Amino acid sequence: MTNIKPNSSSHKSDPNRRQVLAGSAAVAAIGAFGLPVGAQTTAAPAASGAFASLGVPHVRRDGAEKARGGAKFAAEYSYPGMVYGALVYSTIARGTITSLETAEAEAAPGVVLVMTHENAPRLERPEPFYSSPTGMAGSSTPVMQDAEVLWNGQPVAVVLASTQEEADHAATLINVAYEEADAVTSFDVAAESAQTSFYAGRDLLIEEGDAEAALADAEVSVDLSFNTPAHNHNQIEPHAVTVLWKDGILRMHDCSQGVDLSAITIAKVFGISSAEVHLSAEYVGGGFGGKTVWQYHILAAAASQLADRPVRMSLTREGVFRICGARAPTRQRVALGSDRKGRLTSLIHTGTTMKIENNSMTEPFFEQSEHMYRADNMHLEIRAGTMDMLANTFMRAPGAATGTFTLEVALDELAERLAIDPIELRVRNEPDVNPTTGREHSQRASVDAYREGARRFGWVPRSGQRQGYREGEWQVGTGMAAAYYPYKRFPGGAARITLDREGGALIETAAADMGMGTTTATAAVASERLGIPYDAIEVRHGDNTLPGALIAAASQQTAAIGASLTAAHEVLLAELASLVPATSPLHGLPAAELGTAEGALYSLADPHQRIPLIDLVAWSESGTVSAEGQGGPISEWTQDWSMHSTGAVFTEVRVNSVTGEIRVPHITAIYDCGKILNSKLAESQFRGGIIMALGMTLMEGASFDERNGRVMNPSFGSYYMPTHLDVPHIDVGWTDIPDPQAPTGARGIGEIGMSGPAAAISNAIYDATGKRARDLPIRLDALM
Amino acid sequence: MSYISPTKIDEALEVLSRGSGKIIAGGTDVYPSAQLGQHPDFYMDVTRIDGLKRISVSKDIVHFGSAVTWTDIINADLGSAFDALKATAREVGSVQIQNAATLAGNVCNASPAADGVPPLLALDASVELASRAQGSRLLPLAEFITGVRSTVLRRDEMVVGLQVPVPPSTMTSAFEKLGSRRYLVISICMTAVNLVLDQDNRITDARIAVGACSAVAQRLPALEASVIGQRPADVEIKPEFLAPLTPINDVRGAAAYRYDVVQEQCRRAIMQAASR
Ligand SMILES: Cc1cc2nc3c(=O)[nH]c(=O)nc-3n(C[C@H](O)[C@H](O)[C@H](O)COP(=O)(O)OP(=O)(O)OC[C@H]3O[C@@H](n4cnc5c(N)ncnc54)[C@H](O)[C@@H]3O)c2cc1C
Repeated sequence: MTNIKPNSSSHKSDPNRRQVLAGSAAVAAIGAFGLPVGAQTTAAPAASGAFASLGVPHVRRDGAEKARGGAKFAAEYSYPGMVYGALVYSTIARGTITSLETAEAEAAPGVVLVMTHENAPRLERPEPFYSSPTGMAGSSTPVMQDAEVLWNGQPVAVVLASTQEEADHAATLINVAYEEADAVTSFDVAAESAQTSFYAGRDLLIEEGDAEAALADAEVSVDLSFNTPAHNHNQIEPHAVTVLWKDGILRMHDCSQGVDLSAITIAKVFGISSAEVHLSAEYVGGGFGGKTVWQYHILAAAASQLADRPVRMSLTREGVFRICGARAPTRQRVALGSDRKGRLTSLIHTGTTMKIENNSMTEPFFEQSEHMYRADNMHLEIRAGTMDMLANTFMRAPGAATGTFTLEVALDELAERLAIDPIELRVRNEPDVNPTTGREHSQRASVDAYREGARRFGWVPRSGQRQGYREGEWQVGTGMAAAYYPYKRFPGGAARITLDREGGALIETAAADMGMGTTTATAAVASERLGIPYDAIEVRHGDNTLPGALIAAASQQTAAIGASLTAAHEVLLAELASLVPATSPLHGLPAAELGTAEGALYSLADPHQRIPLIDLVAWSESGTVSAEGQGGPISEWTQDWSMHSTGAVFTEVRVNSVTGEIRVPHITAIYDCGKILNSKLAESQFRGGIIMALGMTLMEGASFDERNGRVMNPSFGSYYMPTHLDVPHIDVGWTDIPDPQAPTGARGIGEIGMSGPAAAISNAIYDATGKRARDLPIRLDALM
Repeated sequence: MSYISPTKIDEALEVLSRGSGKIIAGGTDVYPSAQLGQHPDFYMDVTRIDGLKRISVSKDIVHFGSAVTWTDIINADLGSAFDALKATAREVGSVQIQNAATLAGNVCNASPAADGVPPLLALDASVELASRAQGSRLLPLAEFITGVRSTVLRRDEMVVGLQVPVPPSTMTSAFEKLGSRRYLVISICMTAVNLVLDQDNRITDARIAVGACSAVAQRLPALEASVIGQRPADVEIKPEFLAPLTPINDVRGAAAYRYDVVQEQCRRAIMQAASR
């Protein structure tokens, strides 16, 4: 069951399945969907050899640069006269600053400025997500504008000094006195007044039929509760920014997931136009939803303005825990009712999570329950309480990470009661159309993923009996769960294509590459679209002066870039058409009847009629041909289609009967995410998500002190994540069936790995021990 | 604040006699626990003092200088009685930590979860102290550590080394550590066992020490006495043998859980030591 190559296929007879095996050079046939229709039906020149790009496991373009230390991150830029910033964090959860003693700090060696609410420039409140189409801030809490403290850890002073050490030292010399106010720092207290929440444009409430009555009447049912803790972001690169005000421009080297939106949000805070902010983030050391706009950006820029010096503000790990938010804790209830055959008659997924007053981010943990299974009656509802805490925010697979845990454990328990194999139970409830919207699936092969995963893992079907066995003092079990993540594509995508005289192309887009391989994937998509060799494509990204307002979030950026490139390519064809000389048979053909392949412009009707692109470029006035396109309206999921990625995760778990130690020696996961554009990047994204999920399952959790609202483990010393020795062999594969509605056939791969493993592990623990683990993380002593 | 790095022991003791400094070896406990802005008058680095980086073996004594690191221990040629200490060395933090961190620092830091203490207790180790005012003194390890993060070390005093009486050549040992992940982890509890078996595979000498289950790691004399004359496989670990332990409930594990685990660790370590 080990060492099967990724994507070894057992579906060869499926006529719907394109034979697009990862790594095969035949992948990028120009006849793939998504290209102009004409190109699919004519004998266009085939993309092969150097032209084959999509599906080829190109290595990451930034890999060598990073390995050599050549990649420059936000905290590695410097300017003459630059000073370093340090922050002082509040030590109370709510109240008012009554005094700030800064004299000693101001007199300390190297200190250039101490900024507090008393001398900070007047600033607008930042626009948080969902408050406007461009809001990129974690919350709308004012940034050092008054004496009010709203969470334990809020910055109350900034020190600038000529070295980081001097700044850090001076920060310790500042004395802050507070008048404490009553703070809500207890989940239980906040839960009492929790309200049905509103998130991403809708109420988090779906009711179909009478789910409670159906549950009561169900022939078989389970009714379970679960707890999941708060998590913190721990990107390998702690948040940092280098700031310079010069010639009327606020220049920021940042680590943003969305440079354009960050720039707009920050510009509004300072009351300047976004053209006056130049924000770039060429390299980002991990984002996962946390590299957005937090107070440090604004404080660095404000202090830089006040001191008239360039500033580098680089958070410590503790700083990230104090001021950059992450996943909120949840308490969830999942109740399932079914008939004896396992057809769901009732699906209830409700619960409570926490947010703050100044954000509108509610962990949407019922999303998979909306889209994964059919059920006659449903009640899905999320209530959010407000606490006095750091703003919670997106963290890899918001909602689905914990929501699939609870739903998929509940299904396992139901399967056991029904004496039906867990896969079979899922298959019996596989929806023909989207269970809540009634829309048709654009592409869905969940059942294929279950079956393929079972085959590769060596799943032993069960019917109500545990299959676990003992090996000495180790109890061994297996478990499975489905994985889920929605398809998304945000507006704002744009790209510019510029052809040069040497036959190469430059692609420019404001997209972010946080290490997941955006530039690599973009070059491959562009190579296929343009018919220009992959190596002749240069990609510039991560700069708000480039086209587009993209954000690397919700696993949607690749789709957004794909749509932008398609649009830019159409404009480019028109440009090229205008350069065709009158003597050519291509002369006069409209752009819609033209294509590009193998470095040439050709006629779709007669592919043998072609002109090399370098000739067309040479004939142009400027010596380059450039075209820009916008991603266009996002019809695919807003209007007609149900677009969701699914998958199946299988794990083997060993639990020591004496110590409760939990080992996960093997994980197999098969995903149905549309087309896989680059198998190397995909494997790494899936595995990374699974490893992060392993941490969520067995060790991760912020220890929040409910007495004072302070996070007690703000360091790697006490906030545990898996080490290499904890990570097993992870076998990943995919169905690789293109989604005809997605711009490149790909639905996104960044987050789905995070969903599924927690439930699969919990289910395997049950198989091994007979004990159900419904609270995360599953600690050793929980099983004793 | 200053940073003083003497190369001679006399010089070091003179520096210490000046008062309120902080001794630093690998710094792997000192730096993480340092509060920003709160510094001692000086740090005194002991790792460059002549002779302190040596492990020496004489007829009666194995001596570990106080600058000996965990990596030094892993690389040293020591008898099977030290296998537990070597196993501990491989499980303290990570390789980077092992390269910098010292055995003496681990003992002086006096954390209940200090991995080095149980194997040293099982080796009957003593701590060698020195000061300018009072010369040197030698204390059994169990007397040196007095509580959570407290030792008998005086302000002007430093640890010069650790002494272990040369164990019988037939003595074997084993170490068991349990944490909530596989590597780089603070112990939930740990156990070290040193044994001597006769030809008949019966235990003739046993030293069993447990850490992280009481304020200071300790030997379990009743358990040690009970196993004498027994074959390892027949050893029974009765709850009353664990009576001296006072584990607490904390984020790493519940007290009752620690009792269960320690029992198992003792059994495993005995079996392991016996199989060497
Ligand atoms: C990431 C990480 C992981 C860790 N993992 C573990 C682990 O798994 N197990 C474990 O037990 N520990 C662990 N530790 C703690 C630490 O590494 C060990 O306790 C280490 O052995 C301490 O040695 P040191 O030389 O670094 O001590 P230092 O930090 O230099 O000193 C520790 C204390 O001892 C005093 N001291 C040092 N030398 C002398 C001397 N000669 N005389 C008098 N006083 C002295 C110092 O003043 C200080 O109080 C870890 C630490 C880190 C940072």
